[in-house]
Parts: sequence; structure tokens; C-alpha cells
Amino acid sequence: MKIKLAEKIIEIEHLFTYIEEYCRDYITADSGKSDFSIFITKDDIEYERERSRKEDMAEGIKVREFNDDYLETLAVYRKISEKMPDFDTILFHGSAVAVDGEGFLFTAKSGTGKSTHTRLWRVRFGDRAVMVNDDKPLIKICEDGSAVVYGTPWDGKHRLSNNISVPLKALCILKRGETNEIAEITKQKAYPMLLQQVYRPRDPVSMKKTMELLERLNVNLAELKCNMSPEAAEVSYTFMKG
Amino acid sequence: MKLKSKFITHETGKESLLIPTGGAGFSGLVKGNKTLGAILELLKEDTTEEKIIAALAERFDAPVDKIASDVKKALSELKNIGAIEE
Repeated sequence: MKIKLAEKIIEIEHLFTYIEEYCRDYITADSGKSDFSIFITKDDIEYERERSRKEDMAEGIKVREFNDDYLETLAVYRKISEKMPDFDTILFHGSAVAVDGEGFLFTAKSGTGKSTHTRLWRVRFGDRAVMVNDDKPLIKICEDGSAVVYGTPWDGKHRLSNNISVPLKALCILKRGETNEIAEITKQKAYPMLLQQVYRPRDPVSMKKTMELLERLNVNLAELKCNMSPEAAEVSYTFMKG
Repeated sequence: MKLKSKFITHETGKESLLIPTGGAGFSGLVKGNKTLGAILELLKEDTTEEKIIAALAERFDAPVDKIASDVKKALSELKNIGAIEE
């Protein structure tokens, strides 16, 4: 199977058929040379199983058991994410929404309300708002520090994404608050959250490249404290639009 | 002792950072000033606590016992997060 993700043609040798359905909006019939290939083995599936168990235990929740075909989707994205820094592209945990063709990315710890906030944007802006990716978009960081955010099939439990790409206007760290307040944040202050939310490759060279890409990233950075009222969308959009 | 390969260093110009790769088993971030940066740089090669103290004493204008205390504290924290191989 070949998919096109963040402008890269990726050949995937997989074990199960579920991944084909999962990636159906991204499958390409392009007969040209792939940018890279990945191969999934049973060991890769077991790695994801073990990792998922450890994460559930670390979060203090009941360990969930997943089928091999679902775990393969995780293994595929992990292998893709390990390689993408070679192409100046990183996986970032966040909810990305486009309004009038510009991308806005919200990131936070799980459960804070990223998806809830971008849902407020969709209510506020109607057809002008399009979900890029509600969970794990890819972001390409250009030489000049500007960035492009891409839809991917790895789009969260509500499966919210579109196969589109838009320039990234701003990235916002979300926190819960009593009132809706937003302010600019420096890269230095944002670093701990950026590092927590970016995919950190296992390969040290790829990890080093990821750090360089984060260093290079030059988009508006903001921190929003919000209470999830409809007003929150107006507050964040007005500030992030610039 | 030296830094494990699963941890990488990064300078932001203002701070020195030690960042774990995805397989390091630690998900935090260590950051500090240029003293930390110097210690991390020395730990890229096999070294000892004494050698690190001596190198920093040459580089920085501070009392040796203060340097020794800072180095001891930094190494202890790095060992706690599993960043050092003996």
C-alpha cells in the first residue's frame, strides 16, 4: 500500500488489512518512486502492545487490550514519525483547525479540552472552519521557520480530519481557567510543553533533528486559559489571527 | 561514566537542555545554565566526577568547593533519571 502523507509518498508493507481502511483517504495510486518504505513485523505489534500497557499503568487506568490490527496502525504511524524529521516534518499531539485557509493548533495534556475547544471554533465559524486533524497532525517546518500543518488518518477517537494542508498561523497551549484569557508565550517558556507533545524519536540523530526543527519553528505562540464557553473561541481566534 | 546515547543535549542560546529520546524511559526535560551545559558536554566522553570538577574549575571563576557541590548535585540528578552509564 502506498499513502501520501505531508507530501511524501510512503510505501507500507503491512500484516493486516485494517490499515488500508484506516488510511483510505490517503492511499495514492502514484506509480513513482516512494520517498521511503516501512515494514511492519510481529515484534512491532508486540512493542505497541507493551507500550500501551505501560502507558495505561502509568496513568492509573485499567489496562486496555487492543487487537493486532489496531496496534498495527500505531506501529505504522510510529515508524513514519521516526522518519519524517528527515523531511523537516514532525508529529505533534494537538487539535488543528483551519479557518479561511489558515491553520491554528491547540495543544495540551490529554483531557484538558483541545478537541472541545476546536469544536467551539467549528460552531463559531461554521463552513469557514475545517478540521485539519483532531489528534496527531504532521507539521513541516520550512527553512524560514514558517510551518505547514497536514491532515493524517491518525485523527483521534472521533476520527476528525481532512486530507488538506494549510499554513500554520499560530500554536496555542491550552489550560483550563475560570475566565478566558490569552497571552503570547516565549519559545523558552513553551519548550517543556512542546517537548512533551512532539513525537520524540527513539533514534538520537532523529531526535536531535526534531530539536533543531522546534528551534527553527517561528510561528505565533500563545497560552490560553479558558472555560470552554463559546466566548473562548472568539478570544483565542482574535488573538491568534494577529 | 558517560551520558547514555538515549539522551541528547541541546543548546537554545539561553539554556542547556538534556532531552530523552523516545526510548529512554524518561519523559521529562532537564534544563539548566551554562554550568549544566559544560557538565553535559564533558559527559559525552567517558569521564569521572573529579575530571569534570577540574575542567569546570579551569573554565569558571568560582570556588572549587562550590563547583564540586554543583557537579555532585547535577550528577546525582542525571543518575536518578537514568541518563548516566557507569
